[in-house]
Amino acid sequence: MAFADLRTDYAGEKPRIFNLALVTGVFTVLTVGFYRFWMKTRMRRYYWSAIRPGGIPLEYVGTPTEKLLGFFTAVVFLAFYIGIVNLILMFFSFSLFEGTAPAYAVSVVGLTPMIFFAQYRARRYVLARTRWRGIRFGLEPGVAGFVWRSMLHWGLTVVTAGLYWPVKTYYLEKYRVDRTYYGDHRMHQGGSWKTLVKPMIHVYLALVTLVAVVAVTTVTEDPRYAPLGMLGMGWFVYGLAHWKAQSFKALTETKTLGDVRLRTAPRTGRIIGIYAGGWAAMFGIFVAASIVIGIVVAMIVAAVGSNLFADIEEGNLAAIPRFVPILFGLLIYFSYFVFWSVLKETFISLPMMKHFAEVTEIVNPDALRAVRQRARDEFAEAEGFADALPLGDAF
Amino acid sequence: MSDFDDHGPTSLPEPPPPPPEPEPPKPVEVFADYVDGMTAGVERVSIWSKPDAILLRFASGDELTWALDDLRALPDQADARGIVVKPGHDSLERLIVRDPGIAIHIRENAKRLGQRPPVTNIPRIAGWASGAVASVALIIFVLVPIMANQLATYLPPEGERALGDATFGQIRTALSSDASPVSLCEKPEGMAAITAIEKRLNAEVDLPYPVEIAVLDHELVNAFALPGGRIIVFRGLIDDAQNAEEVTAVIAHEIGHVANRDPTRDALRSAGSIGVLGLLFGDFAGGTVMLFLANQLVNAKYSQAAETGADAYAHDLLQRADIDPKWIGTFFERMVEEYGDAEGVMAHLSSHPQSRARIEAAATASGGRTYRNEVLTDAQWAALREVCGPRPASDDGNDKSPDDDAEEEGWEEPDTRRQDAPTGLSGDN
Ligand SMILES: [Zn+2]
Repeated sequence: MAFADLRTDYAGEKPRIFNLALVTGVFTVLTVGFYRFWMKTRMRRYYWSAIRPGGIPLEYVGTPTEKLLGFFTAVVFLAFYIGIVNLILMFFSFSLFEGTAPAYAVSVVGLTPMIFFAQYRARRYVLARTRWRGIRFGLEPGVAGFVWRSMLHWGLTVVTAGLYWPVKTYYLEKYRVDRTYYGDHRMHQGGSWKTLVKPMIHVYLALVTLVAVVAVTTVTEDPRYAPLGMLGMGWFVYGLAHWKAQSFKALTETKTLGDVRLRTAPRTGRIIGIYAGGWAAMFGIFVAASIVIGIVVAMIVAAVGSNLFADIEEGNLAAIPRFVPILFGLLIYFSYFVFWSVLKETFISLPMMKHFAEVTEIVNPDALRAVRQRARDEFAEAEGFADALPLGDAF
Repeated sequence: MSDFDDHGPTSLPEPPPPPPEPEPPKPVEVFADYVDGMTAGVERVSIWSKPDAILLRFASGDELTWALDDLRALPDQADARGIVVKPGHDSLERLIVRDPGIAIHIRENAKRLGQRPPVTNIPRIAGWASGAVASVALIIFVLVPIMANQLATYLPPEGERALGDATFGQIRTALSSDASPVSLCEKPEGMAAITAIEKRLNAEVDLPYPVEIAVLDHELVNAFALPGGRIIVFRGLIDDAQNAEEVTAVIAHEIGHVANRDPTRDALRSAGSIGVLGLLFGDFAGGTVMLFLANQLVNAKYSQAAETGADAYAHDLLQRADIDPKWIGTFFERMVEEYGDAEGVMAHLSSHPQSRARIEAAATASGGRTYRNEVLTDAQWAALREVCGPRPASDDGNDKSPDDDAEEEGWEEPDTRRQDAPTGLSGDN
């Protein structure tokens, strides 16, 4: 009995993610950041449910209150570390080196183990709260191994000026995937780091080209070589998109869950198109919004402020209540941040996930029938450490 | 029994909220996907409407009846036309309905779809929240200040200088309206007047390092001390002062900060507390502003004690130099008149609160005795007022004379008016 491979539908829509991101973003600002736990939860519910392998949506079951709890837990531990350690570092930095730079450098290095720790714990939390077909995912405890491996691989990446990047990517992914469960079945990351070198090839070649162009231009002092730099930059951008598509393919198609496999075919051109279109849309909207705000302000001033001009001419600026410009400035400031992230979700994150979802299939889904439920992973601190440390919004 | 064959990609353009439509005709069999939460299999079930319930009929002939009141819908789902329901909050079972007709039927008849599960961990959240607040408060208000106080005295003078120089550069850039940092005022005659003030105050004995006074060409009515003994006076303060004694009094106050090593403590304390406050606000949009405001609030708590300490030092220093401490008061008085008490915190001598109390303290310190004053000669005072360059003609004097000021306050000190008497260099003793 041959079962068709499971294709993945994508049900996310731009207007709905726009509304959700906008509403939750505004609430987050109004609550000086505390609504962000609800915002993250709701956004994930939406994004998860949009991905529907075989027509069955993923489900995100994390709750805002457990994130809040995790955040408080992390603050209790991190406050001490960050406050006292930073102070002492600053002291020694000024005593011994008479500058702040060493303190910041040591502070960053001191925080890196904490960041890797937070990453692994956050991944464990998110997987534990993700279900598909009613079955929980899970990540085995193993944060210590992840932290030292991350330190090692990232260290080598820095030392080799990025050459090592594919190797680092492969081993860190393998460490996590090999500890990932779907129900009672353990996943496995096959392949080898060599399969990730080829996806990186355009980035390497573009970098070599750029270095060569810079070298030739400096040595010959001939500006005619400079346009080649533009070519190199373009190649570099293409290389990054190619890496994103092909490294995903290389890593995804070598993941297995028992006899179940994945097949995927992300397209470099589509990724470039999403970024180009997304940035163009965001830029266009910001320009249009600035023009509209300018017109509205001019109209308000013209309608209400006939004596405002008189005041300004007389230099009597005190006639304007002091809070008006402050309020206006704050409004613009926060609107800018909120809309920036809202538009990014709408025009880049959502189309990107749609593309990656739609090109991915589950091969031999029949083998999934053997999968049984796993126990709930109670997780007191949720992703509190990742939330308290600014790690960006990694899923 | 699971069939996936009919799950082709549904690329229908879907309008977001479905308009309510009449129920689908009952006899037509409609299907949905059921998962039991135990295995990863999906079962196709036909859905039947019953009074107060829906019935799920499996291909095997088995049936499940879910009471409508028990049904809960998953929130924030991407597929707005369908619905995913579970029979109760804690159930692992799911019914994934893509048929808009059944979705509408369920939405119309199940009354508790949106009911949220009770939040069970409130006591734990409250406990950890108090713990977080307590630990942050402990660190920001107790540990970090204590350590900053201790470490400030151990920091070698060169380290303090480096700290002060770094801050000085930042301030000059921050206050600038264009790309270049705010310029220093260094007219030799004016700087000689500054030196005269320094000599007259003769504070070196109290200080861990020599004071270095700089004048910045900026209209702010302000002055402050930086780690390492650097004192910054803004041109605006010299413009606003009525006489050299007022400028001297402000400088004495700033020397008080230097003697107490307040700027160094502040810098170390900020290094510790900014990171901790950063934890609280996370990386939400615009969190930097919150961070900045919170840090200002924390600093305000310490500045009061520091200001009182610097004032007390200044009173003593001025008395020793035979200068009336009331000049601190007269200067503040005018600031309060001009800007109001509340504004004073923000507008001048930043984070110097409780101006009224300080004016009274200065008057008390003055104590009714007579002082020699005479910090600068007329010529020196004029030179100080032009330390940044020639003053515009319209701005050549003050609207009030020192006499008026003193008399309004009921101080009878003829000595203070003897500035015009050319009795030699007042700063040379
Ligand atoms: Zn002060």
